[in-house]
Amino acid sequence: MSDTPTVLAGQAADPTPKKLSLARRLATRPQIALLGVLMLLILATGIVEPAYLSVAGLRNSLIWAIPIGILAAGQTILMLTGGIDLSIAMIATASAYVTANQSVNGTVFAIVAGLAVGFIAGSANGIGVGVFRVNPLIMTMAMAGILLGLFSGWATTIFAGSTQMSDFMRTLGGRNFFGGRIPWAALVWAVVAVGIIFLLRKTGFGRNLYAIGDNAVAARLSGIRVWQVLIAAYAMSGVLGSVAGLLVGGRVGAVDLQLVGFLLLPSVAAAVIGGTSIFGGVGTYTGTILGALILGVLQSLLTFLGAGQAVQQVLYGSIIIGLSWMYSRLSAAQ
Amino acid sequence: MTTVSSTTEADTRSLMWRRWVQRHGWTVGIWLILLVLVVWYSTLIPRFGGFQASTIIAGGTAWVFLGVAQAVVVISGGLDLGVGGMLVLSSVTAARFMDGQPIGVVILIGFTIMVAAAILNGFVGWIIAVSKIPDIVVTLGSLFIYQGLALMVLPKVGGGTSETFRWLFTGSGTGIGSNPWPTVVIIFIPVVIVAWWLGKTKSGLSLYAVGSDTTAAYLSGVRDVRTKIIAFAVAGVFGALAGFSSVSISGVGNPTTDGGVLTLNSVAAIVLGGVVLTGGVGSVIAVVPAAMILFFFNPILSALGVDPNRAQVIQGVLIVLVMMVAGLLEWRRIRRR
Repeated sequence: MSDTPTVLAGQAADPTPKKLSLARRLATRPQIALLGVLMLLILATGIVEPAYLSVAGLRNSLIWAIPIGILAAGQTILMLTGGIDLSIAMIATASAYVTANQSVNGTVFAIVAGLAVGFIAGSANGIGVGVFRVNPLIMTMAMAGILLGLFSGWATTIFAGSTQMSDFMRTLGGRNFFGGRIPWAALVWAVVAVGIIFLLRKTGFGRNLYAIGDNAVAARLSGIRVWQVLIAAYAMSGVLGSVAGLLVGGRVGAVDLQLVGFLLLPSVAAAVIGGTSIFGGVGTYTGTILGALILGVLQSLLTFLGAGQAVQQVLYGSIIIGLSWMYSRLSAAQ
Repeated sequence: MTTVSSTTEADTRSLMWRRWVQRHGWTVGIWLILLVLVVWYSTLIPRFGGFQASTIIAGGTAWVFLGVAQAVVVISGGLDLGVGGMLVLSSVTAARFMDGQPIGVVILIGFTIMVAAAILNGFVGWIIAVSKIPDIVVTLGSLFIYQGLALMVLPKVGGGTSETFRWLFTGSGTGIGSNPWPTVVIIFIPVVIVAWWLGKTKSGLSLYAVGSDTTAAYLSGVRDVRTKIIAFAVAGVFGALAGFSSVSISGVGNPTTDGGVLTLNSVAAIVLGGVVLTGGVGSVIAVVPAAMILFFFNPILSALGVDPNRAQVIQGVLIVLVMMVAGLLEWRRIRRR
């Protein structure tokens, strides 16, 4: 961005503050509303089941929200550029598979190998989308199919050994600290969250993501190397998928090829509920965090209501539509 | 689609030819690819007769219907992630209520389900048009809702349908036969009706208008809300038809089928069929062979002795390659303009 002509920067400087404050108002207000929804949901769950309003009860919701939130971090980054990652759950599963399989070779090597899966698959997505202009939906969907095919074959050949996670990963994914109150995985999520929020708000890379999603042509003309940013964004999404996959794998203990698949659509939903626009250029990770927490509490509420899978899915779908409708009304009202 | 006034007749003819190629080149090409694949496949297996043809066409029917459902919505500038869920919902509804009924009642139930699917998915279209929430979000919700409703209608695998109904979609009362013609007819009647509607009628053409530029369409008097509702209602009907095909093949309804995967197949099919995901461009006539080709990959690769896992990898790579070529062609067309 540094080589942008100063004349342009001077011209842009005038309308910028006004626009920014408006954009900030747009972005902050619905988040307060989301926080309200979250509180109401927690209260409602507490009324249905008083025991929920305890450390253990809330922790159950948090445990649900953690992998969704980390996967949704990848979705948020990509949705800001106008993309999406439909392969992220399969990347997560594949990473967990590799880590479990390599756990005999030492925990550090196993984790690095798992994260490498996400980096490689994510970079391949990025090259397809950024360099060859393949539609992100198609590119990542095809990647999910390719990974499923590869790992179904490899499960009986080169990765035929262990499907058990190491003790360290089980601790990180499924156990708690601080007197059994806080899951270790929450700590991982906190680190990821701080990193992503810093990246989106304070770095040039973050601004480039917004710029590309807002207007890719304008971004290119103002000197952003769009394809490089996209490859980096998809690679990041892949690595975030790996992190989520390792945590889920650690919690479950053993891995199979259906490990994380059920979290794909919730990860998109969390970003959308949090106010990230699927068309790019608009959204924050704080919103996505709230979206993931709402989905986590909702899961507890539906469990306590004794709702079967059928009712759960109908309510889940209705709430995605309802919340995004509310969000769009709030944004439009500004 | 610009109107150009030319001076000489020869110019006009060459221009018309170029426009014809530009408009229909992909459609013809994709049919030719299907033809080549069929011929090649028939040399790969020891015997290629009615049984093999019937199995492939009947198996691909649901893919074709879902592809057409998705194509109609995408042409109008949207995206319907719920079509796979509609397949699951309508197939289990059919399996539950058609079980043990005479064919007259079964047909009546079939029409009722199609009407209900049109109303339900039309309502989804209405929500999108009124709320201005992106299609992908609302239909992500409707996908969940349809899968949940399917579990309510039929909690576990079961139900059934009449033999005549199964004959309509598979050419056999048992779902496996050697007569492909009933299936061919049941695919072509609805597809030809939709192709005619999209290309020749005012309400059909308004889908292209809204899909290529919603604002321009609105300003020139196209009612965008109504168009959206119609597009989604038609997608609902084709989702229901896909459901009927699925229940006819297996003979039972399965509420735990993953509708999301089916939806993704439908998106791949329309892209291969030349429907542009940003809307306003495409033809359902090209989606039929595209969906068939995608379904056809598996029998071909297994005839080649490729292991099914490897086949899935090859399928994914091929889809990406097709998209790269399509992207390159599109880029060249823009450059030439």
